[in-house]
Amino acid sequence: MSNKMNVEGMMMLEQPFLRVPYENYRKAFRTSQRNVEKDLGAVNAMATDVSKRVTIENAEPADTVNAIDTMIARVEALKRKLSDLQETTGKPAVNVLRERVNHVAAMEGIQSSNSPEFDRWTDTRFDRWLVDWFLRNGKEKSARHLAQEKHIEPLVDIDLFMDIRRIEDALSHQSCTEALAWCSENKTALRKIKSTLEFELRLQEYIELARARRSMEAIAYSKKYLVSWHETHLDQIHKAIALLAFPPTTTCGPYKRLYDPSRWSNLIRSFRLAIYTLNTLPTEPLLHLALYAGLASLKLPACFDHATKNTDCPVCDGGSSEGLGLGKLAAEVPFSHHVNSTIVCAITGRIMDADNMPMAFPNGYVYSREVLEDMAAKNRGMVTCPRTGETCQFAALRKVYIS
Amino acid sequence: MDALLKEIDKIEKIASSSSSKGKAPSMIESLDSLLQTLRNTKAQCEAGEVPVSQIMQLPSAVEKCKKDVDDRHKEIYSSLARFGKTLDKKFTNPLPTYSDLFSSKDSVNALERTIALHFLRTGQFDLAETFLQESDATIPPEIRSQFVGLHEILKALRNHDITPALEWVQQKRTFLRERSSPLEFNLHRSQYIRLLLASHPPNVLPAIVYLNKSLRPFYPDHVTEFRRLCGCIAYLPLSRLQESPYADLASPNLHFDLEPLFAKEYCASLGMSRQLPLRVVGDIGGGGALARIEKGRKVMRERKSEWSQTDELPIEISLQPENRYHSIFACPVSKEQSSEQNPPMMMTCGHVISKDSLQKLNKPGGRVKCPYCPTESLVSAALRVYF
Repeated sequence: MSNKMNVEGMMMLEQPFLRVPYENYRKAFRTSQRNVEKDLGAVNAMATDVSKRVTIENAEPADTVNAIDTMIARVEALKRKLSDLQETTGKPAVNVLRERVNHVAAMEGIQSSNSPEFDRWTDTRFDRWLVDWFLRNGKEKSARHLAQEKHIEPLVDIDLFMDIRRIEDALSHQSCTEALAWCSENKTALRKIKSTLEFELRLQEYIELARARRSMEAIAYSKKYLVSWHETHLDQIHKAIALLAFPPTTTCGPYKRLYDPSRWSNLIRSFRLAIYTLNTLPTEPLLHLALYAGLASLKLPACFDHATKNTDCPVCDGGSSEGLGLGKLAAEVPFSHHVNSTIVCAITGRIMDADNMPMAFPNGYVYSREVLEDMAAKNRGMVTCPRTGETCQFAALRKVYIS
Repeated sequence: MDALLKEIDKIEKIASSSSSKGKAPSMIESLDSLLQTLRNTKAQCEAGEVPVSQIMQLPSAVEKCKKDVDDRHKEIYSSLARFGKTLDKKFTNPLPTYSDLFSSKDSVNALERTIALHFLRTGQFDLAETFLQESDATIPPEIRSQFVGLHEILKALRNHDITPALEWVQQKRTFLRERSSPLEFNLHRSQYIRLLLASHPPNVLPAIVYLNKSLRPFYPDHVTEFRRLCGCIAYLPLSRLQESPYADLASPNLHFDLEPLFAKEYCASLGMSRQLPLRVVGDIGGGGALARIEKGRKVMRERKSEWSQTDELPIEISLQPENRYHSIFACPVSKEQSSEQNPPMMMTCGHVISKDSLQKLNKPGGRVKCPYCPTESLVSAALRVYF
């Protein structure tokens, strides 16, 4: 086993780490582009208008001054908007991006997984995973506390998750307003990933009107917001309109389902999926992914057999039989796969090989030669099996050959 | 990564409003020059003279400004696009989705508990407090105070005070002796060396008194070490000691290593693992195991060979020796992992194969020829071994 790092393998988990600030900057960039398009377009129209009026209609100088004033104000406003955007969003996003690229580059530069630099790097990575996990599980205070204490704020996405939280909270209080606002901010991106989140939200607002039996308003709402989706969601629109014929207490299957309040938790799930996809965040917390792979690499049938549990093994869960910690999680992952034998000494925990042969007691229990020799030296040539209590001469032990 | 940093520098240079090191004016400068034109025109209008030709030029002035700004945007855009492409190249494999992983209530509880214990064990008590308030996990107060105790002792050790550590060791002497732990000896050794090096010019008497009183009882178990502790006196002061065969005794690691050793023994006495379990698992998973597992699965999918055992990984993940916690016996004949039904059997020659393989190699007369050496033995003489 070498101590070379598997840089490529480690990189896999760093995707969201670099992609989130990249998407943030792209978003800021698009906003700035849109502003320029809109404002300079308007100024251009005004300029054309003024020049026309001056030449053709012989406009009053005062009018011209007014028109130019409006143009100046517009350009100044644009200038302000652009520099604000750059200061509040663009620059911080670039800084975060740089910091994170540097952080990943530092990992690539580490020579060995045995070095203190590597330990420090994985310490930080572990803290990043914890913050990510806290944020996804609504533990904002813990997330902030950890990020501040370890000075890793630029390396974690607290703001993004706060935003997600805010909108999810609104949804859990049965309000679509915040989520719809987010949809309209990200319209093009949502269309690109073919998300139907907006329709789902609109449909829910419609259902709420139907639930309140405000039929006229519901019809007006459907005309305004649902009909535009007819190409892809005609069936659902039909069903929605028919919903007006059924009271919220209906027992008729499809309509009962539309009235079902659990649709709100589905909305939260769809929203989360959409915003995670847009920000290239994985649907699972990074900590879960790492733990999945780690536990699956370690998990053995021996971890679940009382006789072979090892306090030091994370999957054995400190030897506890109830499985209060990682052992509980290990139940959800596959077993590890092995084609070669590895014999570990039950006393020292060290791997036995040709230099430290396994030796068997007459009852078949096997330990490493080094520990048995030690034992024999201290006990006038006698050795005792700690698991069965059998005692014999060192000379009575048999060498075990594992091929 | 260098390619990415280069693009970031470029983007920052173009986007920053103040400096315009590029060949073209910055966006703000373009807007400023447009403003200048507008203000000039306005001033002339106010002066009573309407500059018709200048006003006629306004649309094209706006156009020009827009074009300049657009050019800047294009530059940023192409840098961004290059950045994105480099990212794509770097990350060819998307992260996997394991839906609803660890999301059951029991699993969430287990994970919360593990995280809380992790914070306590690493001495992050404030953080543990914040976390416990925000989660459903409950940690019995006695566990907390055990860890507080541990960290008080560790802090004392860091400040070269071995007294609290020794107090604990004395309480747990039987436990430590059973584990043949060198902790107590190492604590005294550290104190002895400190005494030895404390005085200038060297006055070795206090150290020798200490050696006599505290270290002598360890003589039977640490003969060589004890002799070296005495021998090193001949090489004082420190500067000479560092160049001597006893240089290891002069190294500060002699004291620093007490902390991890103490933490290990302390946790063992509480029935806890020697390493931080959450870190061990996370570091293995993040150190390439996830990528390996996903790659293995992908190969399996491409071959369209359904992995026969869904409850087992398709590939072996290599582990560091310190992460091998259990013996694994794979029969060299059948390649199958041993189990309670198919246990490892040692033939009289000492070679081990699985019980099933042993039965298959059975020859008339209940004899078996070892597949790895010329020995023939009785099947009934094979001994079941326990690793």
